Amino acid sequence: MVTFVRCATAADAVAAVRDGDGTAKFVGGGTALVLLLQMRLVQVDTLVGVRTIGDVPGWSGIEQRGNVLWIGGGVTLAEVAGSALVRGYAPSLARAASVVGNVRVRNAATLAGNIAEADYASDPPAVLVSLDASVVVHDGARQRAVLARDVFTDFYTTSLDESDLVIGVAVPLVDGSVSAYRKFASRSMEDRPCVGVAVSARFEDGAVGALEVVIGAVSGTPQRWPEITERAWGRRLAAPLMATIADRYADAVDPIADIRGSAWYRREMVRVNVRRALEEVAASADD
Amino acid sequence: MTDDATTYPGREPLARRMTADAWDRVIGRFGFAVDRRIEGSAHAFAVRSSVPHGTITAIDSNEAKTVPGVLAVITGPDVRVDPSVATTHGETRQDQPVLAFDKVRYVGEPVALVVAETRTAAEDAAALVDVEIAELDLVVDHELAGQPGAPVLHEAWPDNECGTWTLRHGDAEAAMARAEVVHRATYRSPAANHAPMEPHVATAAWLPDGRLEVWTSTQAPYPVRRRLAEIFGLAEDRVRVCVDPLGGGFGSKLDLRLEALVALGSRAVRRPVRMELRRDEVFVTSAKHAATVTITTGADRDGTLRARIVDIVYNGGAYALSTPRSTRTGMIRSPGPYAIPDVLCRVVGRYTNTVPAGPFRGAMTGQVCWAHESATDELAALLGMDPLELRMRNVLRDGDLFATGEAMHGMRYRELVDAAAKGVDWDADAGPTRPELARGKGMAVVLKSTRTPSRSEAHIVLDATGRVTVRTSTVEMGQGAHASMAQLAAARLEMPADDVLVSTIDTHRTPFDTTTSSSRSTLTMGTAVERAADDLRRRIDELATAGRPGTAAPTHSNGAVTVALPEPTVLRYEDLLAGAGLDELVGTGCYQSPPGAGEMDPETTQGMHTVSWHQGAVAVEVEVDVETGRVRVLRAHGASFAGRAVDERRIRKQTEGGMIFGLGQVLMEEVVYDDGQVMNPNLSDYQIPSILDAPERVGSTVLTDPDPDAHPHGVGENTVPPMAPAIANAICAATGVRIRDLPLTPEKVLRAIHEPAVRTP
Repeated sequence: MVTFVRCATAADAVAAVRDGDGTAKFVGGGTALVLLLQMRLVQVDTLVGVRTIGDVPGWSGIEQRGNVLWIGGGVTLAEVAGSALVRGYAPSLARAASVVGNVRVRNAATLAGNIAEADYASDPPAVLVSLDASVVVHDGARQRAVLARDVFTDFYTTSLDESDLVIGVAVPLVDGSVSAYRKFASRSMEDRPCVGVAVSARFEDGAVGALEVVIGAVSGTPQRWPEITERAWGRRLAAPLMATIADRYADAVDPIADIRGSAWYRREMVRVNVRRALEEVAASADD
Repeated sequence: MTDDATTYPGREPLARRMTADAWDRVIGRFGFAVDRRIEGSAHAFAVRSSVPHGTITAIDSNEAKTVPGVLAVITGPDVRVDPSVATTHGETRQDQPVLAFDKVRYVGEPVALVVAETRTAAEDAAALVDVEIAELDLVVDHELAGQPGAPVLHEAWPDNECGTWTLRHGDAEAAMARAEVVHRATYRSPAANHAPMEPHVATAAWLPDGRLEVWTSTQAPYPVRRRLAEIFGLAEDRVRVCVDPLGGGFGSKLDLRLEALVALGSRAVRRPVRMELRRDEVFVTSAKHAATVTITTGADRDGTLRARIVDIVYNGGAYALSTPRSTRTGMIRSPGPYAIPDVLCRVVGRYTNTVPAGPFRGAMTGQVCWAHESATDELAALLGMDPLELRMRNVLRDGDLFATGEAMHGMRYRELVDAAAKGVDWDADAGPTRPELARGKGMAVVLKSTRTPSRSEAHIVLDATGRVTVRTSTVEMGQGAHASMAQLAAARLEMPADDVLVSTIDTHRTPFDTTTSSSRSTLTMGTAVERAADDLRRRIDELATAGRPGTAAPTHSNGAVTVALPEPTVLRYEDLLAGAGLDELVGTGCYQSPPGAGEMDPETTQGMHTVSWHQGAVAVEVEVDVETGRVRVLRAHGASFAGRAVDERRIRKQTEGGMIFGLGQVLMEEVVYDDGQVMNPNLSDYQIPSILDAPERVGSTVLTDPDPDAHPHGVGENTVPPMAPAIANAICAATGVRIRDLPLTPEKVLRAIHEPAVRTP
């Protein structure tokens, strides 16, 4: 028998999970957790509902806080995808949120839940890493921010404690930055990605001021190689450079093989989709 | 179950109901089989083998029995020693136990059944039943299963043989030796899952006097009744099978599925017992036959087909089901709809340690159509001909002999090919596109037969309130069969279809039907319904003219007759019944295939195979991303011959829907096995098309026969099998690469593009 408790405060929710001592889990939209429960990959006695939390400022909102874009822990992927703020400041995140699962999933699933699930074959994690976003968690006593790139540690595994509640995501807003996300699905259009490529860049006088390329769905965690992208700094993002970066990423990646593609195929899809994502940001910078 | 036909699907008459149907389906108010609840039901959950092939050495259910709410645990060995239950059963071979008792033959095979107060308790307890199995060598691949030394599933069938047939028409080997051009290739297709939205569900209840009642999601109410009677040693009339509308079937609900399990469970706990499959269980309950088809074609340089030799191996899975007979059906369809003077076809089914395979929309035909239509394009390339022209030259025309020796009539293939081609602007150049995208068009035709012999009966009841109800055992599963039956009855009675009701199925009340399968219902049950309506009309006329000899036959309109007495007098149906002191008037009708139909020579498979040949064609335009191998179907146009059309809108829905259904098996669907385990038994790992995958433009052409006496043709499957070869042919037209194993994943396409050796000359 599973008990469902609704919590009004973050502290109550954290306490409920902590008291469960491994048998309780947070549930937001429930789209991922219910599947895991059905497949008996997760066993719980208590589900701690967090949609009712009322004491976290901005829990259900998307707002600009100075030079940070805040997305609350109760915000659904559909809300992220539809937000004018996100579309304006972090179009890659809006794009990624718009291609997770299907419309029914996106209407229920939260961005915070997506992070906590740490599904290697999901779209938002790579984007959050590429945007240098921070995940803000509440441990019952206080809040802390963890860089997204430090959150994802392995397949379905994060550096967060089981009783850490994700209360929001903070995306730094950088003047002149552009971003793009390409989801490549090898089967249905509604499949999880075979390869996801998130690119974030800033241009100064037509040259690359900063560049981040992060690959999702190819291994346990989002993959990035700053030593490759940093070589582009100060240079024009022209076709040969984009092809070189794509080739180097394809060489660097150590892809898994699964039902969505072999390691060989994923490597080739990294090559093609990194190049295409770079072309997208280069084009948006030209606009 | 209520007997009142008006409770399905609502109290509203049909036309208003048709709208309400769609609305009810969308908002979840429509009453599907899975929604049926029988008061007081306990719940069953199967303990399934986790080993693909092995000997059961021990089953310990003691711990499971301690789970609160558990009422009974029934094991295979328990059933084995129960003299009141048949040890094994089967449509064609008695090779399948209700619960495995000595051996297990596939992962997912039921070994024990837990019955509990709740489904959760049953499921929890099932996990605690300890089944010890000594593993045996296994074989998953049907080609390997036929090799010497392969693991043997059934001692009675040492070569894993599960259906062997030969078709011999002329002397194909000699004609092949003389042919100016010969093409030969092998085409493979994997197991697939029907993935009906509604899982299989059944509830059984034994009555105190030993009768058995079952509510089940079956496409085959009467065969299920017969099998239950056989298994439990009952007279067929002591078994009652009731069927609510299904949330999709596609062939997966044709054979006995859960019915014997719930009957066992109900007998043990003396209560109704219900079982509803989890999605992963649906994946181990039915499958499409994987197949390997080698096809050799001989032709003149001008493209005239001279000879065809087809060798087919179907993967039957662990138990026979219908495979020993359906392999013959697949073989007969394998030469394709072409006039070829000399044909030789050989087929064998093989037992393997996989989910037992059965019919899958376009049954046994998708596998062979994939081969003959890919081969047609490959041959066209060899000959330097337009594949459309090659088809036009060779498709069956009236009077041509088919490979069964039958002279064909009503052949409309040239029109179908033409219509499909026009639907995608066959001769127009592809529009401008980006350099990494390549466009191409492809086409395929199919010939399918319907199950023969077969029989359908219908009753049409006029009740005291004047209401007309069709009693039929045709299963409504989304195809619109009930709407067609109402329409056919209404036309004969000259009343609005809105005012005709169609009952749900109850073998105690609705008369015999072979099955709802094989695109047969509109022809066979439709004919029975028309005859029943004629019979009812005749009985009404008798009432109206009783005691007035010489009165002209009345005219019918809107549930009333007009009789010349000599002044024209309008009599409503209900008043006629009241006047005669009758509570109801019943018209009956029967369709029975003619004697001898379906009987073939056992050595050569020559004879009259079917009462109706189904004809279809599909053309598509695809766009291939040559850097990723991803294929997008831009346009698909299906053409189907409907004979006498009952309702063109529903024919279009079948024709167009069939293409979207078929798209899945072409581009993404495959049941993946690793060491005998199904690796993708859920709808995340096994993908079916979403609406986003549907072609941007989907069109259809419906050819009809204006003769009012023509019979309707089945249209439920005509565009499913051709999708695969049409798309493969289009990919080849776009990129020059030819892929011969399904599904056509982007990875396969990209590999082929990277490896020029695979390119056609």
